[in-house]
Amino acid sequence: MGGLGRGISSALPYAVLILFTLPILILYCWLGFSSFFTRMEGLRPAGAFTLENWRFLWVPETVEQLANKPPIIPLTINTLVFSLATTAVVLLVSSMAGYALSRLNFPGRRAFLGSVLLLHSFPSVTLLIATFIVLRQIGLYDRLLGVILVKAAFEIPLGIWIMKGFFDTVPWELEMAALVDGAGRITVWWRIVMPLVRPGLLALGLLAFVSGWNEFLLPFVFMPSGSQATLSLLVRALLGEGRFVDYGLLTAVGLYYVLPILILFLFAQDHLMKVYGGGVKG
Amino acid sequence: MDVRLEKLTRRFGSVTAVDGLDLEIRDGEFVALLGPSGCGKTTTLLMTAGIYRPTSGAIYFGERRVDHLLPRDRGIGMVFQNYALYPHMTVAENIGFPLSLRRSITREERDRRIGLVAEQVRVDELLARRPAQLSGGQQQRVALARALVKEPDILLLDEPLSNLDARLRHTMRAEIKRLQKELRITSIFVTHDQLEALTMADRIALMADGKLAAYGAPDDLYERPRNRFVAEFIGNPPMNFLDAEVARVDGQMVVRSAGNVQAPLTLALADRLPLNGSARAVTLGVRPEHLIIGPPDQSHARGEVYMVEPMGREQVIDVRVGERSLQAIAPASLSVRVGEPVGLTFDATRLHLFDPAAGERLG
Repeated sequence: MGGLGRGISSALPYAVLILFTLPILILYCWLGFSSFFTRMEGLRPAGAFTLENWRFLWVPETVEQLANKPPIIPLTINTLVFSLATTAVVLLVSSMAGYALSRLNFPGRRAFLGSVLLLHSFPSVTLLIATFIVLRQIGLYDRLLGVILVKAAFEIPLGIWIMKGFFDTVPWELEMAALVDGAGRITVWWRIVMPLVRPGLLALGLLAFVSGWNEFLLPFVFMPSGSQATLSLLVRALLGEGRFVDYGLLTAVGLYYVLPILILFLFAQDHLMKVYGGGVKG
Repeated sequence: MDVRLEKLTRRFGSVTAVDGLDLEIRDGEFVALLGPSGCGKTTTLLMTAGIYRPTSGAIYFGERRVDHLLPRDRGIGMVFQNYALYPHMTVAENIGFPLSLRRSITREERDRRIGLVAEQVRVDELLARRPAQLSGGQQQRVALARALVKEPDILLLDEPLSNLDARLRHTMRAEIKRLQKELRITSIFVTHDQLEALTMADRIALMADGKLAAYGAPDDLYERPRNRFVAEFIGNPPMNFLDAEVARVDGQMVVRSAGNVQAPLTLALADRLPLNGSARAVTLGVRPEHLIIGPPDQSHARGEVYMVEPMGREQVIDVRVGERSLQAIAPASLSVRVGEPVGLTFDATRLHLFDPAAGERLG
């Protein structure tokens, strides 16, 4: 009885987890099958196995004809540049601001911390028009750089909080020791403190990268001409042609689009789980 | 390098942690800053290191005034209470870190000096390890090596032994003292443990409430404490205190207290204590090691055994005398039972008298 009871109780969490993950798993399976078969009937593939849907990889003109976007390779590079640059800006600003907020006692520190949190919970959509005006003013409208800065700005509040939490865990004595050992403040920050918050940097970097990769709204609104478009815009364009949607092609592009993220998660899930382990205290 | 602190003061908000501290440390001397927690000893050390800026006052290293200098420009090495080793660096990198910040030192020179100092503190076998893989004692040695590698003029140690177990503490006490004497480096260490201060320091600066309560060689502080606070803080178990009076009885000067406690004063002490009128109120201090337990007759005080604490080589015996309790140290061979009546004999040459109001030493 005892053995059986334990067996059931340890199986229960798995049962619940499977129940809730199943719909998502089915979606991914459908996505996979759909991209390799000529058509689907409900959840089952019908028709012959084909690589035709993936032709956008080797026939560059496909994308241009269908969606009026640059070929897939430049699109991918754009997305990569966008995500990486956003990540870099987020990491740089968050780690410097987080360090200052964790270590320095300056007037208005608490108020600043509070407003950072407020910024994080602010729905960014409401800022679209204001952001548009600002970008126009400084001449960054319809350019990748502008979108990078906007995206980073939206990500930074959370980044600051996460990094502050990690900096809070680094003991003061280490910095004192380094100061006595002959380092200046910047050296202490770079050579002692930053290596110790590496898990935080990795986790935040991954979050920012994934968020950048998935971003649709900002490039869509702020880069209308499309020469520097990203993959998310392509997916949207394939969907929104109106007359006829090539579901095979759409799912193939979709799969191509999510694959890097899936792979990244596979390798980085341990780091990502640490992101909320840094702890936050005012 | 001699060190001089002048009217050193540090306030944190409305709290004055260090209050007008004057202290002079001679070249090559090993000085302990001793005191209860919150007395300002660590704050003093951190000001000397340059981590805290003094609110007012001055710090001189030799002839050079340093209180406005950054830590790196002061020529100091420091060991922290929890060692503060850099967790992401190996032992060798930890020790070499201060040298790596100086452009003038080549990689070969750095490696040579790491090897040298590591040998000195016996961590040369551990150079490839990381701090997490070291025992407390080994971390302590590495921290010491890191402080010494840049050949500082002054070595600062903040509670260097408090995180070690008792046995290791004993070894490291001897080791740090040996190293300090060998290198002849002016050193200041902070401790709340009087035993550490007594065994290691050339001179002890006893602090209370941010002020210097006493400054002198361990023997001086133990033999002639200048006030009641010093007398109470130095010595373990602590000194016994009795409200008493000095009087002339049958032509002889004695100190006596309620409950038939009476002990003779030595001539030397009696001479230094002017007696106006017939008697003078004092606080009598006597250390447990200067109280001898014997039979009740022919003693200076009578009481009964209240508690016995065996300590191995000796035992601490709590004796109830009237309302009060006096602690005495007796050899382990002495057999006494709780409740047994005993007599206490005072070692007349080791009595301390204090002013009952001000607490200053008399005589």
